[in-house]
Amino acid sequence: SLVSQDEGSFHLKDTAKALLRSLGSQAGPALGWRDTWAFVGCKGGPVLGEKHSRSPALSSWGDPVLLKTDVPLSSAEEAECHWADTELNRRRRRFCSKVEGYGSVCSCKDPTPIEFSPDPLPDNKVLNVPVAVIAGNRPNYLYRMLRSLLSAQGVSPQMITVFIDGYYEEPMDVVALFGLRGIQHTPISIKNARVSQHYKASLTATFNLFPEARFAVVLEEDLDIAVDFFSFLSQSIHLLEEDDSLYCISAWNDQGYEHTAEDPALLYRVETMPGLGWVLRKSLYKEELEPKWPTPEKLWDWDMWMRMPEQRRGRECIIPDVSRSYHFGIVGLNMNGYFHEAYFKKHKFNTVPGVQLRNVDSLKKEAYEVEIHRLLSEAEVLDHSKNPCEDSFLPDTEGHTYVAFIRMEKDDDFTTWTQLAKCLHIWDLDVRGNHQGLWRLFRKKNHFLVVGVPASPYSVKKPPSITPIFLEPPPKEEGAPGAAEQT
Amino acid sequence: MSRINKNVILALLTLTSSAFLLFQLYYYKHYLSAKNGAGLSKSKGSRNGFDSTQWRAVKKFIMLTSSQNVPVFLIDPLILELINKDFEQVKNTSHGSTSECKFFCVPRDFTAFALRYHLWKNEEGWFRIAENMGFQCLKIKSKDPRLDGIDSLSGTEIPLHYVCRLANHAIHLVVFHERNGNYLWHGHLRLKGHMDRKFVPFRKLQFGRYPGAFDRPELKQITVDGLEVFIPKDPVHFLEEIPHSRFIECRYKEARAFFQQYLDDNTVEAMAFRKNAKELLQLAAKTLKKLGVRFWLSSGTCLGWYRQCNIIPYSKDVDLGIFIQDYKSDIISAFQDVGLPLKHKFGKVEDSLELSFQGKDDIKLDIFFFYEETDHMWNGGTQAKTGKKFKYLFPKFTLCWTEFVDMKIHVPCETIEYLEANYGKSWKIPVKTWDWKRSPPNVRPNGIWPISEWDEVIQLY
Repeated sequence: SLVSQDEGSFHLKDTAKALLRSLGSQAGPALGWRDTWAFVGCKGGPVLGEKHSRSPALSSWGDPVLLKTDVPLSSAEEAECHWADTELNRRRRRFCSKVEGYGSVCSCKDPTPIEFSPDPLPDNKVLNVPVAVIAGNRPNYLYRMLRSLLSAQGVSPQMITVFIDGYYEEPMDVVALFGLRGIQHTPISIKNARVSQHYKASLTATFNLFPEARFAVVLEEDLDIAVDFFSFLSQSIHLLEEDDSLYCISAWNDQGYEHTAEDPALLYRVETMPGLGWVLRKSLYKEELEPKWPTPEKLWDWDMWMRMPEQRRGRECIIPDVSRSYHFGIVGLNMNGYFHEAYFKKHKFNTVPGVQLRNVDSLKKEAYEVEIHRLLSEAEVLDHSKNPCEDSFLPDTEGHTYVAFIRMEKDDDFTTWTQLAKCLHIWDLDVRGNHQGLWRLFRKKNHFLVVGVPASPYSVKKPPSITPIFLEPPPKEEGAPGAAEQT
Repeated sequence: MSRINKNVILALLTLTSSAFLLFQLYYYKHYLSAKNGAGLSKSKGSRNGFDSTQWRAVKKFIMLTSSQNVPVFLIDPLILELINKDFEQVKNTSHGSTSECKFFCVPRDFTAFALRYHLWKNEEGWFRIAENMGFQCLKIKSKDPRLDGIDSLSGTEIPLHYVCRLANHAIHLVVFHERNGNYLWHGHLRLKGHMDRKFVPFRKLQFGRYPGAFDRPELKQITVDGLEVFIPKDPVHFLEEIPHSRFIECRYKEARAFFQQYLDDNTVEAMAFRKNAKELLQLAAKTLKKLGVRFWLSSGTCLGWYRQCNIIPYSKDVDLGIFIQDYKSDIISAFQDVGLPLKHKFGKVEDSLELSFQGKDDIKLDIFFFYEETDHMWNGGTQAKTGKKFKYLFPKFTLCWTEFVDMKIHVPCETIEYLEANYGKSWKIPVKTWDWKRSPPNVRPNGIWPISEWDEVIQLY
């Protein structure tokens, strides 16, 4: 049975309308602003009753509707499915007796599998690394995320713990469906402080439950996990062990969009902490972060706090060119449809299994500098008289390496970069992806290096004849629409 | 003549038939016992103990656990003692050539095994298979104490104990969980309302009266009474730990309530102090452990554990207690060697000994030595300027393990009595200025050192 509450039509998208149509509803697909509407029907069955009242004017509501119907019930035996009696199907039965809306999980004839047997990962260096899934109350997201997580090569289900922020039943049901460990946390504080306290409780609990672990993988419920996520971590985790100048390893490239990321075997060092699927070193958490984690009354974002110089202390994260996680969440504390469409939908996500990362040890501190200098020496300098925002800024080649120099007066002068990021349609809300004034991405399948002059130490590579590009921000207009919400 | 003949014939007949009867009896007994005894012994029925219910239960349990990949090891104190005493015997025994059941047949109600939980891959199906093998099992589970921190978390319960009965013997499987501070923890065996209190003689269990903490033992495999079992590599050390293994949790619920009332200090100075105090405590613990000297959290450090499960940020030092009979003269040099020089030494081993070591950033490590009297304990204090002696009285206490700042460490089991002696009934209220000569309710003047002794009993560096 469906009932419209003030107000039901504004967010009613085409997919929902089509669904209502398929249920047999007449008024649902045509629902107007502040109409009142009640509907009782059956999936795959007849409409049992529907009443609708139009709202006469924008500022008023439709008349109240009263709908009375008789609903014929079917016996329990007819309603239940007759799956084979296995432990998996017992879990399935428990789940399906409580919730629905999970597609063919509860289908009698063709139930979708809830156990996955991804290929084992040979020499899996992250076999015993605990995985913390930070969840709230978006059980359908959690379901999608856990499916992809459990399908990743090299996953250890017994190392996964889902931490739910609040005593919500349905997320726990989803966790139980997959036979995983779920823990509920009494929420503290409000808004982003609540999220921050939840992260802290979850990370502390993770290291308490796995006292031998030296690392933890931190994931959220609104991420798709790449099939080679653990393979990626297994090949790179020794860097976090051996290189103290590293803050984290993250699966997310902030600038890795479909048109700016190409090479799944390529890794970068960046001066930001992207989050969205990352590895936390236990010593960092226990010795530095946990003791001074923001207290419940501080309304700060935990990830913004972690990115602050007082916490990061000049350390860098390792990221892949092609992200190993995909952020699909549209509903959330800091998300909305528009924001997702603009900054997350077209993010490149790796679907190639078993990628062998290239030259992993060149990501160590000194070795990376050697690699950058090599790249810059080989890079072809572009024609700086052209507009860098145009596609024609780069020649129509593939597989080449190009370099462009932009104006960057000081370490914190990101004026030109921000304009460039804007016109290239990559992340421009704050500065991400830089390493000592250098950005690396792909354009038209060529590797594209951007050096900020003179702030970057790589400015020495600039030929004297080249003038660094300067892009001015457009003048602020009165009453201009505000920028999208910040993460 | 014929009458005498008749009697003789009767007597002869009776004699022969009795003889025949006796012969039958003898032959019957011999025949039957030969069938049963397989020629080994003449004792009634048992084959040197290998038929005993205890041995059979253990054998079945070992079969069950090895077939299900449950990596158990033997922790039964009775058996381990015997194995330890007769170690040579066990070493020289090989498969199958046991002539006598010496260990597992000892009459007893239980055999205790242990299991490290995270090594157990398939707990779900185990119960059913155990029952199919004839065991009747009881599972004790409870909330995971590792989730009980300063945040309020709850998850599914964890198994703490399994008690599996077969005939009139029972196997007690103690489930150990890994905890921060590099130790194994097992829970309290508490029967829930609906459980059958007569299932086994619970009072005779060797483990489970309290939660317990043990060092993680290395294991070795031996063959005992024809059965392959894992036991701790150092059974003596394990056996010594058992009577001193009692563990108490930090009172997180009360700590949360405390922080509701008195906001936690999160200034940079407070955090720096906590970090330094934790490092100092870890260093002291490592050093004392190497020397084999038992110690516990005392004074302000103990109060911090009890009241707020953390180091009190305005306390100026780390306080430890050591029984004077555990004193070793190389304590001072051992601390010196790890970078903690002696700051002052008051008193002497015979009376009011007190040591203080200098840590980094102005934190001191104060060690109070406790002296035992018939009905109380005390430690001494000395005022350097005047030579005045003080005595701090405590009710007698025993030591328990607990977890504090990611370490397994001792505290007095009777903590509230210990703290109230030192801080009075208002210990819940933070007091930032504490005069050790006057503030403690348990302080008593104890005379004065004779000036001739001052060089010995007042040493400042």
